[in-house]
Amino acid sequence: MTAQVATSAHSNPLDLHGADRLDDVSRPTKHDDAWRYAPHDLLARLLFGSTTATAQQAPAVAVNRIPQLDGPRIVIVNGVIDVDQSQIAALPDGLRISTFAGSATEPTDPADDVDSGFAADAFLIAIERFGSGGVAIEVTDGHHLDVPIHLVDLVAPNQTRNTPSRSAVVRLGEKSSATIVETRIGTGPVFGGLNTRTSITLESNAALEHILLQNLPETQIHLGRVEVSQHAGSTLRAHSFNLGASYGRVAYEVHLLGAGGQADLSGLYFGTGAQTLDQQITVVHSARDCTSRQSYRGVLDDESTGVFNGGIDVRPGADGTDAQQSNDNLLLSDRAEANTQPRLEILADDVACKHGATVGQLDDSALYYLRTRGITANDARRLLIDAFASQAVDNIESDAVRAWIRARIGASHA
Amino acid sequence: MLMVENLSTSIGGTPILEGLDLSVGAGEVHAIMGPNGSGKSTFAHALAGRDGYEIGGTATLDGVDLLAMDPEARAAAGLFIGFQYPVEIPGVNNMYFLRTALNSVRRARGEEEIGARDFLAVAREAMELVEMKKDFLNRSVNAGFSGGEKKRNEILQMAIMRPRLALLDETDSGLDIDALQIIAAGVNSLRSPERSVVIITHYQRLLDYIKPDVVHVLVGGRIVDSGDHTLAHYLEDHGYANFVNHDPDSAPGRPLTGTAS
Amino acid sequence: MSIQLTSNWLGTQRTGSDHRSIAPLSSKRGHAMTRTSQEINDLAEASYEYGFSTDLDTDIAPPGLTEDTVRLISAKKDEPDWLLQWRLKAFEAWQGMTEPDWAKLEIAPIDYQALSYWAAPKQKPVLDSMDDVDPEIRDMFDKLGIPLHEQKMLSNVAVDAIVDSVSVTTTFKATLAEAGVIFCSFSEAVQDHPELVREHLGSVVPVRDNYFAALNSAVFSDGSFCYIPSGVRCPMELSTYFRINSQNTGQFERTLIIAEDDAHVSYLEGCTAPQRDENQLHAAVVELVAKDRAEIKYSTVQNWYPGDENGVGGIYNFVTKRGRAHTDAKISWTQVETGSAITWKYPSVILQGDRSIGEFYSVALSSKRQQADTGSKMIHIGADTTSSIISKGISTGRGQNTYRGLVKVMRSAENARNYTQCDSLLLSSDCGAHTIPYIEVKNPTAKVEHEASTSTVGEDQLYYCRQRGMTEEDAMSMIVNGFCREVFDELPMEFAVEAQRLLSVSLEGSVG
Ligand SMILES: Nc1ncnc2c1ncn2[C@@H]1O[C@H](COP(=O)(O)OP(=O)(O)O)[C@@H](O)[C@H]1O
Ligand SMILES: [Mg+2]
Repeated sequence: MTAQVATSAHSNPLDLHGADRLDDVSRPTKHDDAWRYAPHDLLARLLFGSTTATAQQAPAVAVNRIPQLDGPRIVIVNGVIDVDQSQIAALPDGLRISTFAGSATEPTDPADDVDSGFAADAFLIAIERFGSGGVAIEVTDGHHLDVPIHLVDLVAPNQTRNTPSRSAVVRLGEKSSATIVETRIGTGPVFGGLNTRTSITLESNAALEHILLQNLPETQIHLGRVEVSQHAGSTLRAHSFNLGASYGRVAYEVHLLGAGGQADLSGLYFGTGAQTLDQQITVVHSARDCTSRQSYRGVLDDESTGVFNGGIDVRPGADGTDAQQSNDNLLLSDRAEANTQPRLEILADDVACKHGATVGQLDDSALYYLRTRGITANDARRLLIDAFASQAVDNIESDAVRAWIRARIGASHA
Repeated sequence: MLMVENLSTSIGGTPILEGLDLSVGAGEVHAIMGPNGSGKSTFAHALAGRDGYEIGGTATLDGVDLLAMDPEARAAAGLFIGFQYPVEIPGVNNMYFLRTALNSVRRARGEEEIGARDFLAVAREAMELVEMKKDFLNRSVNAGFSGGEKKRNEILQMAIMRPRLALLDETDSGLDIDALQIIAAGVNSLRSPERSVVIITHYQRLLDYIKPDVVHVLVGGRIVDSGDHTLAHYLEDHGYANFVNHDPDSAPGRPLTGTAS
Repeated sequence: MSIQLTSNWLGTQRTGSDHRSIAPLSSKRGHAMTRTSQEINDLAEASYEYGFSTDLDTDIAPPGLTEDTVRLISAKKDEPDWLLQWRLKAFEAWQGMTEPDWAKLEIAPIDYQALSYWAAPKQKPVLDSMDDVDPEIRDMFDKLGIPLHEQKMLSNVAVDAIVDSVSVTTTFKATLAEAGVIFCSFSEAVQDHPELVREHLGSVVPVRDNYFAALNSAVFSDGSFCYIPSGVRCPMELSTYFRINSQNTGQFERTLIIAEDDAHVSYLEGCTAPQRDENQLHAAVVELVAKDRAEIKYSTVQNWYPGDENGVGGIYNFVTKRGRAHTDAKISWTQVETGSAITWKYPSVILQGDRSIGEFYSVALSSKRQQADTGSKMIHIGADTTSSIISKGISTGRGQNTYRGLVKVMRSAENARNYTQCDSLLLSSDCGAHTIPYIEVKNPTAKVEHEASTSTVGEDQLYYCRQRGMTEEDAMSMIVNGFCREVFDELPMEFAVEAQRLLSVSLEGSVG
């Protein structure tokens, strides 16, 4: 998994100062498992630009595309917070939101990715070197937020700096709980991308629901990584909806650091046209008695490609681990493609791990059955696809967010 | 034959059995009844030597100290437990399992091992006893068996092992009437002056088919009452309430129907 | 029980007439388990039983690898020029290649110049009959339980024995010839059937396929060749037995099996090596060609010396095995890998013809410091092709076991089906299990399923067996063998018995 990524970065120490694109040697190649199916030619065209954060306003055309969801909202346009569009006044009790410039963390030394815990890659380094800054969200101990915090990224690329890089740092204090929704949208038709890092820390017994909706235009590339450090007894529920972009990459790396943690990740990717939708998921069990679930489903139409590279890493001593993973893919067209790599890396003996992956098409007998009941072939297909896809949506806890996501998915794949 | 005195068992410091006394003579059939969680299965496993128990008191079979031995040595000494939850062992052929078990015990006793053909004859006979289909032997041990099939498999094993003392832990739960009769017939046919049987059950139903010499009530980790088979009927009608909630200082909560042995 | 500890897989003790070549497998389900109960119980020594070495008068080339080495090997074998040219091309390719990146393996660097690429037991140059086999070699094989003497052979298995790099004898040649089957050493095939060798050599595993295949193509010294003509069902099991005897030599053998239309063959391969402190390299290439409706079943029990508890010594086993299945053909790989310090092999099937079938059954055990990185590749090209992969990995001690596999369904493979099941058993707290499958599907009518699980032997399972009177060791051995059952069921009887025995030996000390 990460070893390959680290190795390639490792053997070619990066010096990106002054550069605005990652030179060829530093970028991952198709030999890196984590980047095996990525469009490397397009990645080479991303321009990260230099770190000069200036306040930026959402282009008028984009403003009305910003999703309206009750609760605090932070709108980030091309990597920079747009105060006018944000709603961060009068925050609920226990919630603190602040912004920062540059990188929130020490630059990652690719050599010690094991120590820092999270795998380094060239795009992470781009965030650290070129990042325009970001937002810090903190929920204080014991507080339960009952409205979702909404983080909106809007990309309106220009020719010289087509790929904003931003970070978000989230900390949920002990025994607190919250829901965070991240939405990524953009305006075309200029080529560009979005490169994000969300670093989440869940203190003991905290509970977070994290929802990521990626819906960039198909002229753009989405590189989104979410890192989660979970302490004892904490709970993560993460649901990603990877729908837009020409190359939509959603990477989760979850570290279960304290005993009794639970990580429940699910996702839906729905590819049309020539999209490649890539899920890179790793759950690392470093502590005893943690539970993790990964459940990802892909629906792939036209010439789209779905990628699932999901790993369960059980480190020595993580006894009592209970980890499961599944990836199911539905191919709707004879030019669509599904690539799946469900990995297990087990270094403890008292574990119960399972994974399963399937690739197939709509069940003919189910289609037939529906049609004998008078449903048209098209409707029957729709019905079955919806049924297949709805699992990911059904998992969302918050009613409002669930209804809202359902509407978004419906709209983008009507 | 079986002598249990002041047996105490705790798990991780939590006491489950507290001073259990039981004595079963050769050829006798005893029943142990008691509410859920009263320690019946714990008693079976304490005798069989499962790991993780802290044990006090004594238990001997034919004068041999059971508690000092490994589980397989207790089996060789003639103890057989019919598990409440028989364990699944995928990929291990039932027949092979049984023959290995039987020969292990025979070897431990210094007896000659039984060859494949002779064993097949023994197995056939035992299978008829519990009316089991032939293909049963070629399936993996308990893997994918229905609840009833697992219980039958336990009886089959008992019939093949021919133990001195068989302790059947809720072998009747989850069985329909037909299966119950088959199992009862199996047990009855194995009754002999040299073999004792202890039946752990919730229901007096099974005891209609296997007449116990003595019925014991296990509540709160000890035998609180013993009597003849009418005690089972009493329990069927009145439940355990009178035993569970009774004031320890007052007399037992049921009219005396039999004498404790 | 009639099977003794000293017997092993090549069937000194075959009882009855339960011989089968590619007979339906279901008929013997269960037998394997019942036949070996006693052997398993009787196992006393955990040490490597085949660790002796034999003093053979050996013809060894000086260490080093240059174009001249390649020419020397070719000259020693009196090869035609086309083959020399082929080797030289491979050598050139190899020089331009880099060693694979050992993703999951901890490996000491291999000095390819320190190895000797030619080691042959000196013996009479031409073998007219079995009596001509050097008595010392015969003794060595007797010690291993493989009688080369036809009169002594009770079993219906033809053996090609390969010591270090050279085939020393092939048995039952005459019987096979009657059926039209060619079974001989690779070198003989080059001399006697050059057109067949030339047509198929490198046709399944191209010279540049990977680093070790290229190396093998340049320096391979011998191996087995097998040709089954159209419509022939090979009258007996064919078997090659590999033995590395010399020190500091690499073993690079080449196996080529061609089954013409409607032909059937079952082929067995066994390997051992003496116990030595340094690592030895074994880089073989096996190519299978199954023409229309042909069936090839290839079984391996690999028990090269694994090295000691501290990881000193042991064989590096880097093998490329691949078959091409034409229309309605079937290729089935079964392997039991208990030996070698490092195993790196991915027996594969190119499912080229419509309705062709590929199978892979594997048990890989890593104990001590062993590392096994193995799995299969199934490449679906034809329509209605079917493949299945059943992999059982067992890790104990400080062993590391990796399943790595690829299932690729090309756009042309309408209605392709794959089922993969990878189960891992972890028996110690210092071992590891890794499952790294790649699944690539480009056809919507394909149906691909992958399942994997990781578990340990349950306390309750051990206890249940012990309540029935078994010792903890027996119970453990029985449960682990049960875990491997689906794979053992695929092996011919002798191999199944041997495989269980090897497993039990390797597991000693895993209890508690
Ligand atoms: N492994 C265990 N750890 C902790 N408590 C246990 C364990 N096994 C049994 N117990 C407890 O011991 C009590 C007796 O259990 P058991 O002997 O199974 O009851 P019965 O068979 O009479 O229904 C119950 O309260 C049960 O929860
Ligand atoms: Mg019970």
